Amino acid sequence: MSQDYRLPYKDDLGFCNIIFSAIGGEGANMAAKLLFKLGVEMFDLDGGYDAKYGSEKKGTPTDVSVRFCDYGTPVRSAGPTTQPHFLVAFREFLIRPLSLNRGLQANATVIVNSTKSPEEVRDILQLNSGTVICLDATDIAAKTHSRLNMPMMAMLCYELKFDPEKVKEKVAKQWPKVAQANLAAFDAAVAQSKRATFKDDGKYPLVSFTEHRDERIGYLNMPEGGAIDATRFSTIGKNNRLSGTGFFPKFEQASCITCGMCMTVCSDPGSLKWVDGKMTGIDENYCKGCMRCVAICPSHKKGKALQFPCPEAEALTTGKKV
Amino acid sequence: MTTTSDKIKSQVRWLGNGNEAVAQAVLHCCYDGEGYYPITPSSEVGEEVAKAIAAGKTDMKYVIGTSELAAIGICTGMALAGGRVVDVTSAQGLLLKYEELSTVSGLGLPMVLNLSTREINAPLNIKNGHSDLMTMLGTGWLIFMAPTVQAAYDMNIIALKVAEEVLLPAVVAYDGFHTSHANRRIQVFENTQDVQEFLGEKPIDRILSGKSKQCSVVDTKNPKTMGPYMNDDLMNTKVVMEQKMEHALNVVIPRVLKEFAEISGREYGLVQQYGDKNAATCMVALNTAGEAAKDAVDLLDRKDEKVNLVIPMLLRPWPENQISDAVGAAKKILVAERATQYGANNFMANELGAALQKKGNNAKIIQRTYGMGGLNFRLDDALYLYDLIKKWPNVEDENEKREKWYYGVWAGDPSYNPPVVVEPIKTEDCSINAKLERPNLKELSKMPNRIEKHAACPGCGIFANINLFLRGIDGQVILLFNTGCGMVTATGFPYTSFKVPYAHNLFHNASSTATGIVEMIDKFKKDNKVSDDITVICVSGDGGDDIGMDQVIAAALRNDPFIFMEYDNKGYMNTGAQMCYSGFKGQKNSNAHVGPNQQGKLTHHKDIIEILRGTYAPYLFQAAESQPIDMIRKARRAQQIVREGGFAFGKVFSTCPLNWGLEEARCPQAVAKVVDACLHPLYEIDHGKTTLNYNPEEKGKKIAVTEAFASMGAGFAHLAKPNFATLMEETQKHVDYRWERLKAMSGSTVL
Ligand SMILES: Cc1ncc(C[n+]2csc(CCOP(=O)(O)OP(=O)(O)O)c2C)c(N)n1
Ligand code: SF4
Ligand code: SF4
Ligand code: SF4
Repeated sequence: MSQDYRLPYKDDLGFCNIIFSAIGGEGANMAAKLLFKLGVEMFDLDGGYDAKYGSEKKGTPTDVSVRFCDYGTPVRSAGPTTQPHFLVAFREFLIRPLSLNRGLQANATVIVNSTKSPEEVRDILQLNSGTVICLDATDIAAKTHSRLNMPMMAMLCYELKFDPEKVKEKVAKQWPKVAQANLAAFDAAVAQSKRATFKDDGKYPLVSFTEHRDERIGYLNMPEGGAIDATRFSTIGKNNRLSGTGFFPKFEQASCITCGMCMTVCSDPGSLKWVDGKMTGIDENYCKGCMRCVAICPSHKKGKALQFPCPEAEALTTGKKV
Repeated sequence: MTTTSDKIKSQVRWLGNGNEAVAQAVLHCCYDGEGYYPITPSSEVGEEVAKAIAAGKTDMKYVIGTSELAAIGICTGMALAGGRVVDVTSAQGLLLKYEELSTVSGLGLPMVLNLSTREINAPLNIKNGHSDLMTMLGTGWLIFMAPTVQAAYDMNIIALKVAEEVLLPAVVAYDGFHTSHANRRIQVFENTQDVQEFLGEKPIDRILSGKSKQCSVVDTKNPKTMGPYMNDDLMNTKVVMEQKMEHALNVVIPRVLKEFAEISGREYGLVQQYGDKNAATCMVALNTAGEAAKDAVDLLDRKDEKVNLVIPMLLRPWPENQISDAVGAAKKILVAERATQYGANNFMANELGAALQKKGNNAKIIQRTYGMGGLNFRLDDALYLYDLIKKWPNVEDENEKREKWYYGVWAGDPSYNPPVVVEPIKTEDCSINAKLERPNLKELSKMPNRIEKHAACPGCGIFANINLFLRGIDGQVILLFNTGCGMVTATGFPYTSFKVPYAHNLFHNASSTATGIVEMIDKFKKDNKVSDDITVICVSGDGGDDIGMDQVIAAALRNDPFIFMEYDNKGYMNTGAQMCYSGFKGQKNSNAHVGPNQQGKLTHHKDIIEILRGTYAPYLFQAAESQPIDMIRKARRAQQIVREGGFAFGKVFSTCPLNWGLEEARCPQAVAKVVDACLHPLYEIDHGKTTLNYNPEEKGKKIAVTEAFASMGAGFAHLAKPNFATLMEETQKHVDYRWERLKAMSGSTVL
């Protein structure tokens, strides 16, 4: 019942706003959806779960939001919140490129998957004021065989003061097959988090919300029919790391027999640095870390030129438990 | 608004998004059938119904067509038989159905079409816009608006009841993404019977018992000729339609809304008026924008600023009296539309203006087009517009002084011109194949990539295949993509991953587009205006060859000189892994589930090469990354054919790690297994003569289909489990049969 529960924040319209920032495939959508369900079912809250969907491929940044209000408050607005009280960042490296401080309210609560200190993260985020909580969710997820969304969800529920036992019960029910792993991740999250609270000390101003887009091309200078000048506006000049797994194969020149097979299967062959008919290495600004090339690169007496860089990369891309 | 009545039926709290709410309503309405074709952002409605079918929760007929036109054709057939029928679509999907829309209304067939609105234009955009909806205004369909998830559920029930009574089809329009993907807490009826009772007898029962004027072809005792040819009498059918609309507006809709309020407690009007009717400023907005504006009205009210808000709930019939009444004393009315009529006044503005004129109300109408292509319309936007109305026309910005303008646009910086980062590819840099007798990977590594640094998922087969294929293609290339993952991940304004000229037209017609281009190239060459040797290559997913199959066949029949390359990833991956006819029987799709009543995809994989065999096109082939030299050789042959003036079509097998649930590094092996299981034989048909290029049997590598499926990830792995043994026996037999035929043809001198 909502009378037993008080939302930690409320805006002018009576909403407590939470934004999740993650990349496609990390389960932020699922976590947000479950959180919304928990709020409604456990505390009779109302609100909404909204996502700014694009065409979701692995690696596309996603904006997902949950807004809670007391039952009876009209729920009208559509689309993700622009005035978050909570920011849950699944990847610290998303903070800068996406300017995740946009719209963050004073005295916000920020939960970030990071090995850095809350102080460092505050500076990266340029947070005006509030509490920064850092946890190494990647490590927790790997060690507990869970997913990134579990430790992040756990931390958020803790901050929302959702009864942990009840939440765990629901999580176990939602994903029965992986209940144990998820619950282990849940417990680990809160235990391993680091936090610090920052006053509005004048270091960083509050940043009001603006859409995250490049407005240098508009109706005055848009090429005819929305065309793109391929010589100037090429993805070539851009870092493509967001759409990758984050790992890069290890290449050993001495073991390469120049068979060319890696080139035939590569997800994005510019990733392979072929120079004058010779394979010379991996371009990390391209490479998607799919390890297709590793799978095809032959083993022979000189060894195997392309290899998994680490057991995690092998586990991720082959499903093998290593 | 809510009411209480003693007729109220029991309801339960339900959580879900707009699409799921529509699907709930579809199930509660006990439809007889649905014709379906997926398109974002409405696909989920059909997927939810498909889940219920697999789970045995409904016995409705559900047929996935090869296009939206096919889907509504199926619906029309169902309705001609007297079925209670539902359809769902968005944007381009609606336009493809367009030809059928006036037929359905003209024939007097009730049906409900759920339209999750989406913008239609080039460049492609998948987000919200009402341009699709506005095309329906003159089609003779009832148009109900659903501003919220709750309304999306409710309006489905209301619209169906009205449609079956007045014998007109109805569309329920809810905002794409903003409502379709918004999860909300709503109320739904607990018992399907209550909804049934509310709706009354199904059309077929009313027809057979003579209670309805509706006709049915299955009523053999009363044979009717439906859809005759008609000359001068046609004018009279227009009066019939007009009268139906009038009756709906004046009698049926108000009554049904009242009856619905009695059983649900939720009151809907023909129009929602919110705020102060005596206010001097008023905004008119549809669906979610109207909802967001309510918050603005409340906030302004707290500051003692009175404004009015009008949200039309019905566009056809157009409740003009109610709307003129709702704008009240307003002197300035801003009509905000997620649509525009370039070079003319906007749709709703025109209709409101006409309504006001009849009442002698000369309030000023300000038109603002907002939010097309999915831009959000939030509280702040509504506040801005209310402020604008108050000040207008005394505003500084020259554009804002205009009566008609666009809200939420930006001018750009005309001096912005980033440096050249890619030099156009020179013909001399891509003439490697001409110098090589046989494909040589080492040498071909020097072929410039025509497309790179895209945003497809890691491990995706699309660009691995395209780049491998293009290594066999010399010279200048124009690439034309059908809509699909390849298209969506290789461009995203203002950036492109293509280095060569590229165009995207629609989902289904890259082949026809290519025909147009090669004809012009030919003409320009003859006119000495173009001298380059340019190879035109279409790239399409397997889905593009469901919906665009006729156009591919036509290009083959005309023998137009271009290459068509289909990457076959066994599904409509871009829209969320729906069924493609090329998929394997039993495969899991988001609209073909595994459950007590269904074992995944219902039919065996479409064989596009064999379909095309009958066109006698000069070169048809299948290739795979597992045999890269073979693929490059085929690319070279295809280019040779095209240079000789003929058509070439090739299908390559392509992995989709995301939707198959397959780990990325296992992709190459999965491709090899699919080839070894003869699920994707590597062969070519060159001027009618078939040659098998790789025979796993001879190499002692042939494996069972189940072994291949087991290697393909979660979307297929279930097929290797014992409970699918019967199905797999059948599939193996079927695959073996196709393989034996192929071998027989390969050995023959005439086949
Ligand atoms: C007329 C029309 N109907 C539906 C769509 C939605 N749509 C876009 S891509 C796509 C599926 C593409 O499937 P496929 O051709 O197999 O390519 P893939 O996504 O697998 O790469 C669909 C259904 C559309 N754009 N236009
Ligand atoms: S991991 Fe290998 S195959 Fe995958 S993108 Fe990188 S270089 Fe290419
Ligand atoms: S597949 Fe391995 S051995 Fe062959 S060229 Fe690539 S890196 Fe060298
Ligand atoms: S969804 Fe599948 S086909 Fe689409 S980009 Fe991702 S892997 Fe490729």
